[in-house]
Amino acid sequence: MSANRWLATGNFFATYKEEQRIFLTHLDRAVFVLFIAVLFTWPIFFELSNKYMLVINNILIAMVAIIGLNLVTGFAGLISIGHAAFVGVGAYTLASICQVIGYDHVAVTHAWPAMILLCGIVGAAFGAFAGLPALRLKHLYLAIATLSFQMIFEWVIHHTSFFNQGQTIFVGRVYWFTGQVGRSEHYFFWYYVCLVTLVLLGLSVRNLLRSRYGRCLVAVRDNDRAADAMGMSPGFTKVYAFGLAGFLAGIAGGLHAYMYRGVGIESFTLHQSIQYLAMAIVGGLGTLNGSFWGPAAIKLLDLQVENLAELAGKVLTSHLSLATALRPLTFGLVIVLFLMFEPRGIANWWRIVKSYFKLWPFRY
Amino acid sequence: MRLAGKIAIATTVLMFIAAIVTGPVCAKVYKTALSLAITGPTSDAGNPYSKGVEDFFRLVNEEKLLGDDTIECIIRDDKYETDITKRNFEEFMDMGIPIYLNYSTGSTLGLKRDFEEEKIPVIPASFHYGNLENSHYIFLPIASYSEQVIGLAEYVANHSEGGTPKVAVFIHPSAFGRGPVDDLKKAVAAGLKVEVVEVVEHGKDLDNTATLQRLQNKGVQFVICHTVQSPVATLLNDAQRLGLIAGTFGEKGKMTFLGAHYTGGNDLIALAGEAAENFYWTTSYTITSVPGPGADAQLALAKRYKRDEKTANSHNYANGVMVAQVAFEAMRRAKARGLEINRENLYNVLNDMNGINAFYPVTTVGPVTYSKTDRAGVDSLQLYVVKGGQFTAVGLPFRSVYMRKIH
Amino acid sequence: MTYFLQLVVSGVVVGSIYALSALGFVLIYKSSRVLNIAHGQIIAAGAFITYALTVFLGIPIFISFLCSMVITFFLAMSVERVFLRRLIGEPIISVIMVTIGLMSILDGLIYLSPFGSNNYSFPAFLPETPLNFAGVSISWTQLVGVLITAVLISAFSWFFNRSTVGISMRAVSDDQFASMSIGISVPRVFGLAWAMAGLSAAAAGGIIGNITGLNFETLHAYGIIVFPVVILGGLDSVGGAVVAGIIMGLIQQFAAGYLDGNWGLSGTANVLPYIILLIILLFKPHGLFGTHEIERV
Repeated sequence: MSANRWLATGNFFATYKEEQRIFLTHLDRAVFVLFIAVLFTWPIFFELSNKYMLVINNILIAMVAIIGLNLVTGFAGLISIGHAAFVGVGAYTLASICQVIGYDHVAVTHAWPAMILLCGIVGAAFGAFAGLPALRLKHLYLAIATLSFQMIFEWVIHHTSFFNQGQTIFVGRVYWFTGQVGRSEHYFFWYYVCLVTLVLLGLSVRNLLRSRYGRCLVAVRDNDRAADAMGMSPGFTKVYAFGLAGFLAGIAGGLHAYMYRGVGIESFTLHQSIQYLAMAIVGGLGTLNGSFWGPAAIKLLDLQVENLAELAGKVLTSHLSLATALRPLTFGLVIVLFLMFEPRGIANWWRIVKSYFKLWPFRY
Repeated sequence: MRLAGKIAIATTVLMFIAAIVTGPVCAKVYKTALSLAITGPTSDAGNPYSKGVEDFFRLVNEEKLLGDDTIECIIRDDKYETDITKRNFEEFMDMGIPIYLNYSTGSTLGLKRDFEEEKIPVIPASFHYGNLENSHYIFLPIASYSEQVIGLAEYVANHSEGGTPKVAVFIHPSAFGRGPVDDLKKAVAAGLKVEVVEVVEHGKDLDNTATLQRLQNKGVQFVICHTVQSPVATLLNDAQRLGLIAGTFGEKGKMTFLGAHYTGGNDLIALAGEAAENFYWTTSYTITSVPGPGADAQLALAKRYKRDEKTANSHNYANGVMVAQVAFEAMRRAKARGLEINRENLYNVLNDMNGINAFYPVTTVGPVTYSKTDRAGVDSLQLYVVKGGQFTAVGLPFRSVYMRKIH
Repeated sequence: MTYFLQLVVSGVVVGSIYALSALGFVLIYKSSRVLNIAHGQIIAAGAFITYALTVFLGIPIFISFLCSMVITFFLAMSVERVFLRRLIGEPIISVIMVTIGLMSILDGLIYLSPFGSNNYSFPAFLPETPLNFAGVSISWTQLVGVLITAVLISAFSWFFNRSTVGISMRAVSDDQFASMSIGISVPRVFGLAWAMAGLSAAAAGGIIGNITGLNFETLHAYGIIVFPVVILGGLDSVGGAVVAGIIMGLIQQFAAGYLDGNWGLSGTANVLPYIILLIILLFKPHGLFGTHEIERV
């Protein structure tokens, strides 16, 4: 261990335990605490319009879901094209409770943290079940098996009257100690709920990853037969990875249902699954901080592209439908170009920036 | 003289400047907004729809139909995703719009609660009857899908010979498609003389032979479609191949195909070609292949803004124009009554739009009437049939009888 | 019985069109192990190019069909050259992501054209009256579609089994390093695989467009619909794609013919392929004809 607990330029680990620390230096920890503090306090000082609060909440929820996807696809190496369905399972858990006991039942409006947790648990159960094919399938065959789960999920929702056949099922407004959370403070309130959930889950996943249950994921990704030889159970690990991903997705689904105050199938389609995959990859697979970069980058890019298209619509005549076309075109181009030059995602930039600061003023 | 002349010139110049400076200050800009699918699913309907709205508001501003005041309508693409519609809606609320134009069934139902809480009048492009249930602020532009489907079933009941006609319903696998099915069944229970043999939900089929032959075996004579054009086109193509399309209405041993608003129009003819012949279609709009003042007005507007032929003749262009017209008319009336243009006043003005105050847009087959109890605009329907590759009108506009019995 | 036979015929027709659409996936996967998510957009583009050549330029439809295949051949080749060549050796998942981006780009390009939001249909060029054999009917459009599929697939099979370029492509899919060491240009093989995938996509697009009419949403959906076909056949087997395509077509027709309308079921044709796929994969984890990967620790 280096003498200076605030700055450590080199690698001074003497034990594995030291290497496993979350914060290598006091400076790291201080910066992190400061950052979290800023996240918790800024909405009190800056009032943001509802639209942007909605966008931010949406990003936070996507981050929760992406941590799950990153665990299964990034860490355990099992491509999942059905993540939106897992999120949907979470959301529809809440929706079915609303269908049975009513959308403004006390259990839904007062015991919402328990409900969100329940969404996560049901999500985990479905995730583990959908992960069963992983016992036999690998690579893209497994990816398509998860795609099948997505398709079956959509079909069931569409064809069951209990689920309102995909139409919106309403979820009531929740109560806090101050009373019912009204429309004016809705997004403000859910910002804090999403943020707290995200921080808690982020920290616990970070902790999980340095335990044996985290390391076995990586071992199975790198070579499942080798992992088997070392005494891990690849089959169990894969199912457990899916279960974990399902849990996080279920939590995200519960948050989504409460925040949008309703559950409709449009938010959990194959298109969304592909979007989730895009967020995970752009963020950087196999890195925890990538799960935060990806959703933020994709959602904000989408917003910027929309603004660009609107600007273009004002400047150019709309006859060429250029403004319309500009949106998917720029979105795709940015993603493709980004990945062409940085296939490892934004997390790689983060790594480079961090090491730059760590080594400064030296180059290497 | 010199001095007087100078003063005269100076005053006129000053007056000009004053006019230029104060003019725009007096004129108000009313904001309104539309969120719809210009890309993604159903964009073939959304695209001309958006152009209709855009063109009509441009006309209002250029022709000064609101005096010096202008309407600024923000049009946003939501890719048919409810989440994006919600985001757009929140942004529009931050801008303080007094009236909102929405699009899909899914998002209208999803945002129903928000409309109620914000007390903002909304005109969607979805004519789903469920939009009206438990809500007060959603105004359908024309008769609901349920009314269209029941209207078609009534037409079948009244015009077919020999016994209770057997009907199959061919629908889109979504909330949009299933909406009218229950209402149709209620109408049958209330005494409508048709037998609903089967409800078919289509997928992305390349071949509907199985479906068609099954229906034929069950003795189905009429197929009422409620979906978008492309699946209907495939169905019609297969029916034509199997020689199942009736040459005349209700021909024995064959099938007559009928459809609600979003199944028809020129898009259907474009997709199905000759198989579209003898397809019966109902909507509340006038169409450009049937000459009349509505057709002239629509074509003139499209020509003024140099729209291509497809857009100009699209019934969804007419749809967009009409919705914009209703929003404009509400503002105009509120202004004429000296009311401030806000959500509450527009809501009241729309609810007053009945009886002597009914609004007659030229592109519909009947007046737009709204009241506290009836928030479906044009209640009349017109039946059209494809003859020689064009939709032609069949009979006069009619109203559904059973719709009033079941709701 | 006639009903059954009709379902079989329809199933085979639909299935062979699936097979043709699936071919593009297989070709790309076989050489470069990449799943091309943008395939549906290339199918749509192929159909639109055929239409544009036929109607806007007045070229006879069969010639414009061939021209469109040539155009997409070069289009897909340049896509590979511009976007994917740099990514050789990068993680496969990043490359799959690039195809998701490509999907968005192609969407944008198609929305730029009149086809993005308008509907068209090909001018009729085949006899309207269907062919009837003992109560079983098949339309000329379908028949021609099946014939074109058969011709193309046999051409591809011949190409892979007999021609030098085809054999070098198989070599690359088997072992990239070994094939490089015997002088095969791996990047060129990748380019060629993409180009041929584009060509087959254009053919599929032309045939589907003739049946459903030209609607962008309908056409690009075939990129996803054929996923189960590809997997069922085994990702890297051309013959497997044909067999799996026909199996899927039959399943769908039988589901629509015997399940729908009974016991309150509907739309089963959309979900049954996925369920059966899952069951078959439990017994054959590499699809029916896919290569078993031998893994070494």
